Parts: sequence; C-alpha cells; structure tokens
Amino acid sequence: MFLNYLKSALRNITKNKFYSFLNILGLAIGIAAFIFIFLYVRNEISFDKYHEKADRIYRVESDFTISGKHDQFAIVPVPMGPALKLEFPEVEEMCRFNDVGNSLFKYGDKEFYEDGFYFVDSTIFDIFTHKVLVGDPKSCLVEPYSVVITESIAMKFFGDQNPMGEIMESGSGRKYKVTAIMEDVPINSHLKFDALLSGSTIAAIQGGDAFNSMEPVRFWNIGVYTFLLLNQNADMQSVHQKFGGFYDKYMKPVGDAINASFDLMSTPLTNTHFSGNISSDLPKGNMAYIYIFSAVALFILLIAAINYMNMATARSAKRAREVGIRKVAGAFKKQLIGQFLSESLVLALIGFAIALLLVFLLLPDFNNLAGKTLEFDLFRKPELFFTILGVTVFIGLISGSYPAFYLSSFLPVTVLKGGSGDKGRKGGMLRKVLVIFQFAIAIIMIMGTLIVYNQLTFLKNKDMGFNKDNMIILELQDSAFRSKVETFKKELVKNSNILAATNSTGIPGDNSWIQVVKMEKDTAMVDNAMLLTLVDYDYLDTYGLELVEGRTFDREMGTDLEEAVIVNETTVKYYNWTDNPIGKKIHWGFEMDGSGGRILKVIGVVKDYHFNSLHNKVEPIMLFMADFDKYYVSLKVNPENIGSTLQYIEEKWNEFGAKRPFNYRMLEDTWGEMYESEQKLGVIFTISTILTIFIALLGLLGLSSFVAEQKTKEIGIRKVMGATLGNVLALLYKEFVLLVIIAFIIAIPLAYWQLDNWLQTSFVYHTNISILTILLSGVLAIIISMVTISFHTLKAGMSNPVDAIKYE
Amino acid sequence: MIKTVNLTKVFRTDEVETTALNQVSFEVKEGEFVAVMGPSGCGKSTLLNILGLLDNPTDGDYYFLGNEVSGFSEKQRASLRKHNIGFVFQNFNLIDELNVFENVELPLIYLGYKASERREKVEAALEQMQIIHRKKHFPLQLSGGQQQRVAVARAVVANPKLILADEPTGNLDSAHGEEVMNLLEQLNKNGTTIIMVTHSQRDAEYSHRIVRLFDGQIVTENIKEQFAL
Repeated sequence: MFLNYLKSALRNITKNKFYSFLNILGLAIGIAAFIFIFLYVRNEISFDKYHEKADRIYRVESDFTISGKHDQFAIVPVPMGPALKLEFPEVEEMCRFNDVGNSLFKYGDKEFYEDGFYFVDSTIFDIFTHKVLVGDPKSCLVEPYSVVITESIAMKFFGDQNPMGEIMESGSGRKYKVTAIMEDVPINSHLKFDALLSGSTIAAIQGGDAFNSMEPVRFWNIGVYTFLLLNQNADMQSVHQKFGGFYDKYMKPVGDAINASFDLMSTPLTNTHFSGNISSDLPKGNMAYIYIFSAVALFILLIAAINYMNMATARSAKRAREVGIRKVAGAFKKQLIGQFLSESLVLALIGFAIALLLVFLLLPDFNNLAGKTLEFDLFRKPELFFTILGVTVFIGLISGSYPAFYLSSFLPVTVLKGGSGDKGRKGGMLRKVLVIFQFAIAIIMIMGTLIVYNQLTFLKNKDMGFNKDNMIILELQDSAFRSKVETFKKELVKNSNILAATNSTGIPGDNSWIQVVKMEKDTAMVDNAMLLTLVDYDYLDTYGLELVEGRTFDREMGTDLEEAVIVNETTVKYYNWTDNPIGKKIHWGFEMDGSGGRILKVIGVVKDYHFNSLHNKVEPIMLFMADFDKYYVSLKVNPENIGSTLQYIEEKWNEFGAKRPFNYRMLEDTWGEMYESEQKLGVIFTISTILTIFIALLGLLGLSSFVAEQKTKEIGIRKVMGATLGNVLALLYKEFVLLVIIAFIIAIPLAYWQLDNWLQTSFVYHTNISILTILLSGVLAIIISMVTISFHTLKAGMSNPVDAIKYE
Repeated sequence: MIKTVNLTKVFRTDEVETTALNQVSFEVKEGEFVAVMGPSGCGKSTLLNILGLLDNPTDGDYYFLGNEVSGFSEKQRASLRKHNIGFVFQNFNLIDELNVFENVELPLIYLGYKASERREKVEAALEQMQIIHRKKHFPLQLSGGQQQRVAVARAVVANPKLILADEPTGNLDSAHGEEVMNLLEQLNKNGTTIIMVTHSQRDAEYSHRIVRLFDGQIVTENIKEQFAL
C-alpha cells in the first residue's frame, strides 16, 4: 500500500512540474532558512553551558550608589572574591579575571599586540571546564610570571616549536614562562581569552599581596570579573541575604565616609551571555534578537507550508475526478488521506534534501554575516539531523493535512458528474485568509527592514557634536614616551596633512573615568560621581567641540592649567547653573577626609556631544587639564594622502624612541563597532525578508496561475459581453491586491508596536517611524505582488474569448 | 443589416491549414429569423463568431449595419458588439460566481448604465423570461432550462438589434427547449433580428429561412416564406 502511495505521489509531483517546482523551491528555502536560524539560536543559547559545573557558577556584579548616583558594573572590587570565599560557606571556590588590556607580547623576533590576555586565579581549572593539553592544570598558574596559552597563541608565537618552558616577554619587559597549553576557548563562551597569566604576578609586581589584600579602601575600587563556584545544594540567594553583614564588616566605614553604598548582584554563568545592560560588560547576545529570529524562522516555514496548502486546494477541482474514481474503485477515505499526505511528505523531504545541500554550501557566508563560526555538524550530532528531519515531517504533515481531508471528503457522485466537489467557496475563503496571513508577515518584515535601515542611517548621519571622521587614534602604552608627548605632538603638526593633535585620558567612545567630585550646587558643595577627561590645550579644537558659553583653554592664561574646567550643557542643566555657569566651582582630587585636591572653576560650556554611543543618554562630563600621564593621542588628518601621513607618523613614532611597534586605529571604526549588532540585525533581517517575500511570491505565482486558469471561461464571457482588456485585468488584479491591502492594514499596528518598542528600548536617540515608511512598505508589497501575478494574469486577460467560451 | 461577400476563414497551426469558411456570401435583413444548419465541423460556429464580431475573417468583406468591419480592431469590434449584439450559447456560459441578477446585469455594466437603470432593465428582462423569482440564486442552483432563460435574459437586456444563438436548446430536454424557442420567437416578433445555429430541424422550423453549410460553403438557402407565399 505504501509503495502505491509513493508511486502515485511521485507521479503527481512529476505531472504538475510547475506547481511541484514552486512548492519544492519554497520548502527548500524555508527549511534552509530554518536550519540557519536554528544553528544560530542553538549557538546563542548554548553559551557557557559546556562547563561541567555551569549550574553552580555565578558571576558577581557591583551595584554602587555614590552620592545618589547609581551605577552597575559587571566587575567587582578586587578583594571581593577572596572575601566572599572567606565569609560564606556556600562559596566553594572563586576565580577572578583581570583584563590585561591591549598589550604587546614578544617571543624571539615575533611580537604582537594582544587583547585577550587575563590575569587569573590559579583556581580557574577547578571551576571552569577547559581542556589543558600539556601541563598540570592544578599548578600551572600558581607561580608568578606563569602563562597558560591557547593553541592559537601557541601557533602564532611558536609555530612548530614546543612552547612549554619558553619565555614570552611583555611590552614592559616582564618575562612569563609558558607552563601549560590549553584548547582554544569555545565560541560559545561569553568570556573569550587567548592566554592566562598567573594572578600571583600582580602581587609580585606591586609588592605585598596586592591581588589578595582586603584593605577596606580596596573594596571601593572597581576591578575584576569574579566568578563563584557554589557548593552542591548551596543557594546564591542565601549569599545575597547575608550580604548586609558582610557589607558592615568590610565596606561600611569607607562607604559612609564617602557617602556611598554598595550592593552585590549576581548572574548565573549560563545567563551571562544575555544579562542586562551594565557597565564594563563583555560583548553579549541580545535575547530580543533571538526571539525575533526564531519567530522569523517559524514564519518562513509556515509560509512555505501555506503555499502547499493553497496550491493543493486550489487544484482540487482537477483532482476531484481522481478522488471520485478512486472512491468508486473502492478506496476508503482513510486511504485517500494517506495518499495525499504521502504526496506532501515526499515534497517536504525533497525540499529537506535540497535544504541540507544549501546549508552546506552557504554556511561560510552565513557565518560571515552573523559573525559566528557555526558548524553544520549533522553527522556528529544525530539529534540535529533528527530535529530538522522531524520539523520537515511536521511541515509535510501540516501542509498536507488540510488538502488531504478536504479532497478525500469529495462525494464521488458529485465530482464524477462534473461538479468541482464543492462550490469552491469554502476552500477559496481559507486560501484568502492564508494569503492575507502570508502577506501580513511579509509586510511586517518589509517594515522591519526599512526601520532598521532608517535607524542605521540615523546613527550614521546623526550630528555627534564632535569630529568623528579622519581622526587617527594612537595609544601610548609606555610611560617614557608619554612624558615626551608635547614635543611629539609639535613634531607631528609640522606635517601639513596633520591638521591638529591632542593628548587626553579619554576620547569620544572611550571615556570611562568616573570619580567623586564636589560640585557647587546652590550655595553648598555636594559630592557627586562625575565623568571626567583630562585634556590639553588642543582638545576642543581637534575634536571640533562647540563652545556655547565662555572660552576654551588658553596657553596665555597661566592659571588655566591649574584651575580651569570646561563642562557640557547637560552638567549646567543637571546642577542648575543656568543663569551663569562661568565661575562655578568643582572640587577634584580630595582625600577621603575632604582635604587637598584642587578647586576648579568653570571657564566654558561646550555644546552636548555624544561621547558614548547613541544607545546611551548624554551625561554630565568635565574636561580639564592636569599634569597627569594621558594615554591617547588623537590626530585630525587630511583624508587625502592618508598613507603617507601614516608613514610620517610612524617615522616620528620610532624617532621618539617608542618601545612598542607603531599601532593606530581610526576613530570611525571604533564608532562603527558600537553599532555592529544593529548592522548584523539589519543584514539578517534583510535576507530573511527577501526570503519570506520570495517564498510568499512563489505561492502567489502558483495561485495566480490557478486563478487565471479557473477564470479563463469567465474572462471569455465577460469579453463577449463587452468587457475591455482593462476591465478584465482590473478584475483579476483586484482579487489579489485586495488581499494584500487587507494584509497591509493588519500588519501596520503589529509592526508599529514591535518596531517602536525596539527603537525605544534599544536607543536613547532614534529615528521615528514615519507614515512614509509605512506606506512605502505597503506600496512595495502591492507592486511586487502585482508584478508576480502579471505573468499569468496578462496571459489570461489577452486570450481570445472565442477559445474561452468553447472551453468546457 | 448583415451582408457578407466571399467571407473566408482559414485556421493555421504549425502543420495544417484548415479552411473553415470558404467564400461565404449571404445577407440577413433586419427583423429576420435565420437558422444556420449543417453537420459538425462545417463552419457554423466560425461563421457565428465572425458575425458576432468575436473574430475577424481571413478574407472577404463583412458589412454590419452598413459598416465594413472585417478590418476592425478588437477594440472597435468590442464597442460595436456590446451596443448591438446579444449572445445565447449552447452551454449557457453563465459566470458561476455571480448570481442570476448579476449575470444579467453584466452587459449593462460594460455599457455604462447607472445602477438604477440597470436594476430596472435587469428586472424587466428577468420578468420577461419568467425567472425573476430566482434572481438571487447562483447558476449551479438552477436547472438547465432556467439557466438558458437567464442567458437569454442577459442576451436581450441591453436591447440588441441582433441576437446570435449557438445551439440554444442543445443542452436542454424537449420541454425546456421548446420554452426557449418560444422566447426567441417572441423576441423576433418584437423586432429583434435572430441568427441561430442549430442541429435540430424542429428548432429550425421556428425560423423564416434556413441556411445550410457544408465544408465551409453555403449549399442551400431555403426561404420558407417563398413556399408559404
């Protein structure tokens, strides 16, 4: 019986080549898109789950309140980890990660800047599951100046040589011995490191027991990623409940003195990848995007399934005779259902095979787009294969079920006499609803794509209030060089292509220095945490910051270096300085008892500029000068001859005796990276939209062919009655355009609600959803659907009525 | 009213050339009722299509209401057609998706009548065909005879000068067939010219004269009135 089903299924598929082609193509693309999104989502939600003790590991985080200003960080003060372990029996072990930052490392004649090196506690391998290939995981990070490298770093620095016991030298001349080699950190780890340096090194460098000291003041410096491994059956909640006592013992005295408080937060390791937006966090996934993509995958599959349902029921009139004959020949309804379901299953399975092929072929491109290194490990992980196969069978059954039950219920007497089995109304209504559903989704996705791109354009074109373009950023990692920076700058601006140069502790996009200062408010001086950047005389000019009041720093004014400060407009508003901000006082750099430091006076106010990405609100910031090593050199250059300009800078860099190789970046690139996840969203959205629309159009093409065929007689009669080509075409287009318009009307509120929510929650500064964008997506949908149906519609409309009316 | 001179229609497919009409010349005067008879494939339907301005002849002249129309474009023919000709087909050719009223209304829509005028005319035509009680029904809910009465109503609703009927009783039993023929006779008596293709000698009796076609040519023209005189 089954063979018979299969045979007749294959015959029907090959007989109706056009419809089969449309269906298989739609299913193949739908399943392929589903697989891609499935792989992506599976990877995203698998983050950090590979650690054997993952369910017992927590990351502890900081919640500081300083002078009423609330700040949350993904890192905690350095002594927090050891102190928690000491005080709480729940904590079995802890491990801290201290980011070394972008630094130079050398071996022999090979030297590279590395930004994936961390100082860690030697307990790392007791908590996390990382495979150590060579060396002893227990002891490899105990001794100071030990380094554990990953395979990639081993290849990069040592090539074929055995790295064990070899010495890697840091840019500052410290020598680290390679004590172990480990596997690379999996791509689904939220904390990706390339090498680990022993935490005991910090003590060795700073003297004493710097990494473990529990001196009270050290609890008030923000510091390191800290992970706790809890005992079996222990509960993180009980640590939080008892934290008050811990606070009183270790932190309260200093906290009260500086008018601050602290609370401990924590995130289970396996949730870290999707945890909320807090400062100093590592790059993360976005759960909202996971939901969006999952929904999109489901919709694409549904649309492909609907295509099948629609085309199958539309063709029912043609199949009616077959049903009648089979029934007369003795087929039970059950057998007919089996037969029709086999047909849809066979189609889905053909689509499945093509989809697998597509995924294998396109995976590298997808990885590129998504910024992932996903594998299609179909054969190593049978559950993946069976999941996808299961989904395929499910889709096959869903899409086949309605046609199967519908067709098999035809009464042989009616259909054999030449009726169509029903009045064509019930099936027709369902088809219309399904087409509306398909196009509502397609239109929502068109709107989504347009809005995402509008927002990206907005981000790109928004006036940031400072010069972002043609800025070269140098980082001064060695202190000897930093002391020569003024002459270095002077030397650089001698080149006519270097228009300005400035030296500062922060730059727009990298401005994290927060300190408690006393601000003049009404008549008192109040403690407040404030963002600050130490700058030089040329900062405002180089970055093109616009003064709205007062003046900029002036070399002629001897006191500027000591007591001038420039604030932004937000500061003025925040501290209610609106009548006259000039001359207002800020006390900076005082000791814990409030003595010492400097009293700064406001000499100017700059127009607000976006020193953080547009996800964030502009906050108060102060710019002033101090005799303090400043890390960044920013150069405003002529966009022409950039090559030779860079060469000139490199020459001077070496001439001035920099100990590290020349390295630079463009400020625009840094800013581009801030919107990377939105860029990716944009690309993935566009592709999904194109696929969704494409599959929906395949369905429409099939349906329009059917409708044109079905209406041939009606068109003929109408023409005989005097209808013009225009009348006839209007009739045919109306049928579909009306559906698309209904879909559009349904789509508007849904899309608006979702997209507005995305803009509001993701960005402080965002574009608005304009009526034009909404209309454009509707018009686009109508135009492309009209073009799609035109092929069959025009053919039918222009046919000779004489042929049509003879048609029986 | 209608005059053809050496009307010829040749169908070409890739290999074969078929002459469906071969130099047909004849004339129909206003108010006449003409039956066209002949075996299957003799060219009856082709002739009717050309007379009905649905198709152009390959050669020869066709005068319709005094205009030579053989070279008319589809658009010109459509305009002439909808103002002057009504059609009745063997298989009724009603639109299944439209109800009786809407089917009959169709020609009036394309003629640009206002809704109120259309309602009046459609109801008058349905009244005349005694099918007014079924105006909300769909074609598939009607018997063959009822469907043909709807089709005749549609053919006459715009008051055409000419009605072309292609085997109007071919799909009907004799009782219903007679009903339809009586309707046509009535219309003719009221002044409408009728040309009817038929296989049935009995139906042909209703006409004033019979034109017999064979292999695309007219073989006899039997003017009944001549004998009657």
